[in-house]
Amino acid sequence: MAYVATRGGERAIEQSERLFREEMGGFDRDRVEEVKKSLPYLIDRVMGEASLYDEDLAALALAQTGGELYEAVLLLRAWRTTQPRLQVAEPVEQDTLFTHRRISAAFKDIPGGQVLGPTLDYAHRILATDVLQGALYAPDPVEPADTPSPAYQPSVSAWQSENDLLDPPADDPTKSNNIPDLTREPLLFPSKRAHTLQSLARAETGGVLALGYAAMRGYGQAHPTVNELRLAEAEIAVTHPDGRQFSAGRVKVSQAEVVDKKGEKLSIGYAATFGWNEVKCIAAATLDLNSPGAEKGSATEEEFFLYHTEGVESSGFCIHFKLPHYVTFQSSLDAMRDAKAKKAAKAPEPSSSEAVGQTKSEPAE
Amino acid sequence: MDDTLSVLARVDAEKLKTFAETLIPDLGEIEVLQSQSGLVMLPMRDTAKGVAFHLGEVLMSEAHIRKGEVQGYGMRRGHDLEASMAMALVDLAMATGVRRADCKAFCDAQAEALQQADDDVLRRVEATRVNMETF
Repeated sequence: MAYVATRGGERAIEQSERLFREEMGGFDRDRVEEVKKSLPYLIDRVMGEASLYDEDLAALALAQTGGELYEAVLLLRAWRTTQPRLQVAEPVEQDTLFTHRRISAAFKDIPGGQVLGPTLDYAHRILATDVLQGALYAPDPVEPADTPSPAYQPSVSAWQSENDLLDPPADDPTKSNNIPDLTREPLLFPSKRAHTLQSLARAETGGVLALGYAAMRGYGQAHPTVNELRLAEAEIAVTHPDGRQFSAGRVKVSQAEVVDKKGEKLSIGYAATFGWNEVKCIAAATLDLNSPGAEKGSATEEEFFLYHTEGVESSGFCIHFKLPHYVTFQSSLDAMRDAKAKKAAKAPEPSSSEAVGQTKSEPAE
Repeated sequence: MDDTLSVLARVDAEKLKTFAETLIPDLGEIEVLQSQSGLVMLPMRDTAKGVAFHLGEVLMSEAHIRKGEVQGYGMRRGHDLEASMAMALVDLAMATGVRRADCKAFCDAQAEALQQADDDVLRRVEATRVNMETF
């Protein structure tokens, strides 16, 4: 690789990093806490894309990078590689999710009913400019119901399978420790489904949205209807050395199913991610729904969308273009000059009258 | 799922540490096999095709201790080695019969507090229940 075959500039490099960090100033545990408490949805997004769940670490990464999301995710992915893996938990099943929000755009009367949970779906999007004039933004408190919502909600797709609208999912006997893992093996195509869903779970939100939106707008084969969308907390079911299983805590997760109505039965796409990130899940599920039979090179083809929504790789490749390419670029210029010289050598000699007024067009270096 | 361990893994860290400290003199000499933080990979089941896949990893703290042949174990979310050790101490105390009644009373009280906290959340969720009507 000849990209950075260059020396010098150590002082400039050091000062440039200082200049970047100077704008944010120093930070401490208090700022990390403030980031964590005030920006929970950003924390969720970063944890999902980093594929590492810990609110403190995500807030720290955001504080350290001044909110530069790609850098924050890269820091977390890099840190993750330094840590030992203690266990692989038992797979989270949908009917064990401690559910905060569950809606369906397909059926209004789903078993268990619909709870909107925390959402701005029906809110007026009005910027609270009064705050800049010194006013306090104090949202009205929730008025709790007398009885709690059921913690665990039935599956919409299971109900549809019972009513012959959907083919039921097959049994997957794979043990936790044998589930294909992208962090330890390469992504190959055609992709294993476990790889596809893991890749979408850690994909960059904006990339997934862009390609999912393309499919929604008509560049895909299937138009999505949200069958079920859940925001929930999942138990981390681990094993005691004596064999007992227990929940070592909960993490926030999002899950989306989208369906297409062509044919005799519904076809279904699925996606899930760490944290509460509905847009990513709906877009990712739309890509999953559209991928069977997708044309090679189209936005809904598995290889295309999995490669191009991997945030660390795509942002890294993008920003590498600004690093010194002097050797490769000069080599290309040499080839251009050589081609130009050869072309000139083959061309017939211009008459003396045509040569008058010609100027040299070689760019300055 | 073991309810007691699940409670100890979620209970407030400071309350757990304070209680576990009181067990140390009664437990006597213990051997620490492991006290570390690391990652637990969390798989999830896809509801479309039924395939289990990895959602990502969670930062956890783990403590594994032993007194004779009896093991105590703690695993909790986040980086808090003291809290996971406190959990392991309570687990070991219950397994060896050390102040079992106190441990049970502590776990029962904390289970009730966690259930109350869950109910509070779910009553707020229930307030958002919607009955859609089509026109």
